[in-house]
Amino acid sequence: MANGSSAKWDTFQGKEERNAASGITVRSVLDEIMENLNPSDQRVVVPLGHGDPSAFPCFRTTDVAEDAIVHAVRSAKFNCYAPPVGIEPARRSIAEHLSCDLPYKLSPDDVYLTAGANHAIEVLITALARPGANILAPRPGYPLYEARAAFSNLEVRHFDLISEKGWEVDLDSVEALANDKTIAMVIINPGNPCGNILTFNHMKKIAETARKLGILVIADEVYDHLAFGSNPFVPMGVFGSITPVLTLGSISKRWIVPGWRLGWIVTADPSGILQKSWIVESLKSYLKITADPTTFVQGALPQIIKETTEDFFLKITNMLREAADMCYDGLKEIHCITCPHKPEGSMSTMVKLNLSFLEDISDDMDFCIKLAKEESVIVLPGFAVGLKNWLRITFAVEPSMLEDALGRIKTFYLRHAKKQ
Amino acid sequence: MENGSSTARWCFRGNEAMTTESVSTIRGVLTEIYRNINEADPRPIIPLGHGDPSAFPCFRTTPIAEDAVADAVRSAKFNGYASTVGILPARRAISEYLSKDLPYKLSPDDIYLTLGCNQAIEVVLAVLARPNANILLPRPGFPTYEARAAFNRLEVRHFDLLPEKGWEVDLDTVEALADKNTVAMVIINPGNPCGNIFTYEHLKKVAETVRKLGILVIADEVYHHLAFGSNPFVPMGVFASIAPVITVGSISKRWVVPGWRLGWLVTNDPNGILQEYGIVDCIKAYLNISPDPATFIQGAVPQILEKTKDDFFSKIVDILRQDADIFYSRIKEIPCITCPSKPEGCMFVMVKLNQTLLEDIKDDFDFCVKLAKEESVIVLPGVTVGLKNWLRITFAAEPSSLEDGLARVKAFCQRHVKKQ
Repeated sequence: MANGSSAKWDTFQGKEERNAASGITVRSVLDEIMENLNPSDQRVVVPLGHGDPSAFPCFRTTDVAEDAIVHAVRSAKFNCYAPPVGIEPARRSIAEHLSCDLPYKLSPDDVYLTAGANHAIEVLITALARPGANILAPRPGYPLYEARAAFSNLEVRHFDLISEKGWEVDLDSVEALANDKTIAMVIINPGNPCGNILTFNHMKKIAETARKLGILVIADEVYDHLAFGSNPFVPMGVFGSITPVLTLGSISKRWIVPGWRLGWIVTADPSGILQKSWIVESLKSYLKITADPTTFVQGALPQIIKETTEDFFLKITNMLREAADMCYDGLKEIHCITCPHKPEGSMSTMVKLNLSFLEDISDDMDFCIKLAKEESVIVLPGFAVGLKNWLRITFAVEPSMLEDALGRIKTFYLRHAKKQ
Repeated sequence: MENGSSTARWCFRGNEAMTTESVSTIRGVLTEIYRNINEADPRPIIPLGHGDPSAFPCFRTTPIAEDAVADAVRSAKFNGYASTVGILPARRAISEYLSKDLPYKLSPDDIYLTLGCNQAIEVVLAVLARPNANILLPRPGFPTYEARAAFNRLEVRHFDLLPEKGWEVDLDTVEALADKNTVAMVIINPGNPCGNIFTYEHLKKVAETVRKLGILVIADEVYHHLAFGSNPFVPMGVFASIAPVITVGSISKRWVVPGWRLGWLVTNDPNGILQEYGIVDCIKAYLNISPDPATFIQGAVPQILEKTKDDFFSKIVDILRQDADIFYSRIKEIPCITCPSKPEGCMFVMVKLNQTLLEDIKDDFDFCVKLAKEESVIVLPGVTVGLKNWLRITFAAEPSSLEDGLARVKAFCQRHVKKQ
């Protein structure tokens, strides 16, 4: 360093605490696991760790969506800055689209566009955070809620999802956890990481509990309509007159385009409580200074929503059903793994790891690291989503790859099984 | 509300701190001014308030850029999540692009992709903020810095740009303002809002001052290469061996595509100081929980940067030069407005308003509101960028629209001149 002295740069030290708080995201844990991949293994790496099947040809998005984007770019009408809440045609089309499944009509002004659902989580947490407050989040859950809450100094309290009951919410624990500083509870439906679909009756009970506690529901519906079992997907907004609901979603999962970064926050609140309590103002204020989604993707949205055929959606849910079935059946043969609930929605399932069946595997992270190294299969260790010694396995991959991966996981199990 | 029960007690409230922290961004102020437009005026609105000429056909981006995006979408290779720092081909292309103007080679690892330059600003300020720290910002400046600093509870101290010296930095005030808690100073070059280009010698003095103070420079070069006067654009990174430089930029201005949201944060730091002091780790940690630019736009970056022809760049610069000439000669005809320095870069110019020469115009804001109402011309009141009773006028427009707009401004001033 020129002139030798290093002391004078002290004023802009980085912040270790801040780094630690944001440490756990799905991406960062998977990055760490992937560092253990064996470069000399000729086999293809099977990624069952994240919810992104876009790389697989069978999951390729509809031409309609690609056409809409190209059309929007070539129109040269969407190269400009957009308003902070998003452009009106896009908001209108989302309002109409979501209203199809609700007992009331959403207005375009109920819709706020974000750069993906992850960004919607950032906006919501930032807008809601206040000193001393807390939110209730599910365990297992989605770690970005915790990461953003930590960043905003918002306390998170965890309620359990009950594996024996199809991963329903333990409403008793919700009531026990809440206090007068609780402002919201997060419900992820279709379920990530569990792959469950909440029933109408159960969701009604959740809404009634929230009302009793005076809190709002953050309904994370990023996997909306990806339901292929016996329970239909019911949006939480259906119960918006019982308690105010902030729904978040995106095109990422249903259209298999997580890289397009287009999401939304919707105020499903026919009683207008969110407006009166200044939540809407807070959202709008933060939206003014936070990043925006690409204007031409917003511009393409009406065409995407209007012209995508039912065929495409059916094709995707059929593939997910088959994959879920294959995964569930395949896991039955792997005795160190127990799947408590057959997945009926979303793209992944939570399974319990029975370490007592295994020699020299110390915990879930160890399992995942060794599996990556020995078999080039990536799964997510449960600690990343709040359940240590469980695993989150994504089944949304090319069927032949899934079959291959299940075979490799079985081989791994047999190699590490405790000798009798 | 159902059951006629009295209003349930709701435990959530908006975040007052956020809403009252007067988020006076340029967009917010312009929206307010737009509200005064007279709907009955058949003339087209002339927008000389914002830095976005993308709506004018003469400023349409190059088909190369549109093609690159279309190719990337149709390839279906960029529909997935990207790495948190941005995909490698894009970072590599940007490092090569920027290195052309530097005395050393940037590595792709020095490049972090962001949702436009605005998000790069967000990242840098969040990373540097800590209790009691302060940052030095130019006055006049770009209010997003003030808004993000306020949000991060980072104290702001303003140094002056000197109109009588071509808007150079008043380096004496910089030294007087800085103390042991100062972390950085921001330099916007090409200059927004002033339209100036800093000379090599002056930038070198800035770097030496910064070194003396033990702080870093945030070089906002979003308007890089939009220079059409006698001073060439010199990137601050040229002086990075004197003091560390974090450059923020994007494709928004040079390619006239602000709606595409593709920007970058670059660590120019051949002496490795930012790494040593944990700044790099903080940047990565922050990006880990932040939204990303659309993957397919990242995918299009190499093609955009490598294939855009100089013709396109010269064409844009020529139009801006023509606009600046038109502006400078027309503004001289308006007695209540003084332009201290002919613009030589960027898209704006700061002019002084002598509202004392006008009847019933209270201040700059009042001038802009009435101008919008009576003439359907939008300009930005200088108070928004730190100089009350000045105006920021965008000259980047279709030349005929600019002529029309300035003629209307002149008519407005003549109509409002104080009777003798």
